[in-house]
Amino acid sequence: MANRTIKIDHLYRVEGHGGIRVELDGKKLLDVQMEIFEGSRFFEALIRGRHYKDVPMIMCRICAICSASHRTVAIRAIESAIGLEVSRQTKRLRELLIMGEMIESHTLHLFCLAAPDFLGFPGVAAMADRHEGVVRMGLGLKKLGNAIQELVGGRKIHQVNAEVGGFSKVPEKEALLKLREELESKIPDAHSSISFIESITQENLTKSPSVFSALDDDTGNYCYHGDKILVSTGDQLSVDQYKDLCNEFVVPHSHAKHSKYKDKPLMVGSLARIYFHRNKLTGKADTEMKRLEKSFDPDNILWNNLAQAVEVLQAIERSIEMIDVIMEEGYKEEEPAVPGKISGGSGTAGTEAPRGTLFHAYTVDERGIVTDADVITPTAINLENMEKDIRAATEMGLSDPEEALKLKLEKVARAYDPCISCSVHLVDLRGKKSSKQSSSPA
Amino acid sequence: MPKPKIGIFSFTCCEGCQLEIVNCEDELLDIVGAVEIVSFGMAQSNNLDVDMDIAFVEGTIVQPREVEDLKKIRERSNLLIAIGACATYGGVAAIDRDRSRDELKKIVYGEDGAFIPTIKPSPLYEHVKVDFSIQGCPIEKHQFIKAVGYLLHGDLPILPDYPVCTECKRKENECVLVHHKIPCLGPITRAGCDARCPSHYQGCDGCFGPIEEANVAMEYNVLREMGIEKDEIARMVGVFATASDSIGDFLKGKDGK
Repeated sequence: MANRTIKIDHLYRVEGHGGIRVELDGKKLLDVQMEIFEGSRFFEALIRGRHYKDVPMIMCRICAICSASHRTVAIRAIESAIGLEVSRQTKRLRELLIMGEMIESHTLHLFCLAAPDFLGFPGVAAMADRHEGVVRMGLGLKKLGNAIQELVGGRKIHQVNAEVGGFSKVPEKEALLKLREELESKIPDAHSSISFIESITQENLTKSPSVFSALDDDTGNYCYHGDKILVSTGDQLSVDQYKDLCNEFVVPHSHAKHSKYKDKPLMVGSLARIYFHRNKLTGKADTEMKRLEKSFDPDNILWNNLAQAVEVLQAIERSIEMIDVIMEEGYKEEEPAVPGKISGGSGTAGTEAPRGTLFHAYTVDERGIVTDADVITPTAINLENMEKDIRAATEMGLSDPEEALKLKLEKVARAYDPCISCSVHLVDLRGKKSSKQSSSPA
Repeated sequence: MPKPKIGIFSFTCCEGCQLEIVNCEDELLDIVGAVEIVSFGMAQSNNLDVDMDIAFVEGTIVQPREVEDLKKIRERSNLLIAIGACATYGGVAAIDRDRSRDELKKIVYGEDGAFIPTIKPSPLYEHVKVDFSIQGCPIEKHQFIKAVGYLLHGDLPILPDYPVCTECKRKENECVLVHHKIPCLGPITRAGCDARCPSHYQGCDGCFGPIEEANVAMEYNVLREMGIEKDEIARMVGVFATASDSIGDFLKGKDGK
């Protein structure tokens, strides 16, 4: 049989611009590529020469959906570089902000981007014609996530309120307590959305094991940050060693095999977090995960959707807990911490963005000017694994008609919730590929 | 009467303006019910290259293929509306827009990145006719909804062209510039955000771009009197709207610098 190419020119309903290309020789799979044709914006170069106070404002613009993650991880990396300690309340509020992002981003992905594939609609608007209740439930949860980001961050996208040292305006106590009521009222919907996602994602299109990685903060909490990197091979690294986690990925050319972490591609994101931390879940999220444990299948990438749904419930419960803790510890209208004399230095921070582990690293001089910057995004880390799973899905679906196979490939790619604007490091253009994913800028 | 055909398109950016449209959680189903959406990359996969009444376009043009794609969208649309700082005035991708792309490529990608296609980052108006711009980084959903209302009635939108200062006064905010000596671009920046940054005790960062005939030289003098260095002022104003006339001219040293 002749060679043929299965091509999804533009993968819609993801963030950013990319496509999928699969080359076949008869029934033999030759090559799989996730094509990324997002333009380069050179953030790490443009931030150099600017004062560190510009870092949150500029670097959060890497991505809208995960702007809170980019903003807070950039802030934490700068604080580490200049040796600035922040208040306990600041840490609580940052976690609350991240929970808001998690709720908004996951529900956007689950209801607006992923669900239409499983119910046979081209998009959320068409889906709403037949499933208005479900769509309104999803949008209601999404709005809740945005309400947190609006209150704590000062804006839903590109939060103006989070700065180096803390929050320029601490959210008002009454507003936090009102938010707590809204959070409580949405728990039943978060619960129902787990059952909804469970009902539509029963298939396994890949049956392909992955090596997972996620951060751990050693507190015993279901955590979204921490200084330790866990790898499912049993290895542990510190966040400062993030290059060792990702260095293996550097690929100078497409015809060479991509290198991998200890010879295997790596998956980060909700599925990885559930893989490592599901025993640390509490409350209703814990009960739901225990119910789902029998069907938990880390070799099925579609489970990432269900993992996100569990995290939405977890994030709502954790947000309530954060507000309670802030009140118990004594709510304060405090100003951001101010650094003393800066001696210059480097700092790295990692966070679990909705799509997985995100690293920012900066070097600043004694005037506070950024001299070096490095960003590694979860979509860039996941790209190898995404290609691995598209390969697995193609091999399982070789006898399918082309349109059916394409839909399967889209479901698999979309399950990663790829954020292509984020993958600033990754350039991959038809046949010629260069991914500088971790080497420091020359 | 057939529903107006609308397309929402994206070039290089964070996609925050498309996201802000999806963030109209309460209004989204009404909006999509009132129009026929022929293209919306973030929200649907049945996107068609057909003629349309209105194209909303976000993002900065940074690669040659984007110039061609933008021209095709313009040919197919009756009205073309730029949404957000990137589409209107270049946005963050156009920071240091005159700097050599080869140099930036080398810093971020090393020698391997030489083949990456790049052009000087530019807003839409440098390539095609833009009928109207909704500004902000990102746009504000209330402005988008208001603009859609005007457009569906066959009018071009009317959005504020007064500075952020007016919104601060209306909110009775204490002036961060005068009272707290915080550098603020509010006097030269278009309103529409309800003075978000000053309301959080921060200076306006100028994300809505300059008002018509912005007096950048006066802003420069105010900031210089506060003891801020020339280079620092250039960096402050050179984030969101380097491709606007007033800020572009200022950065080129034509306007009092």
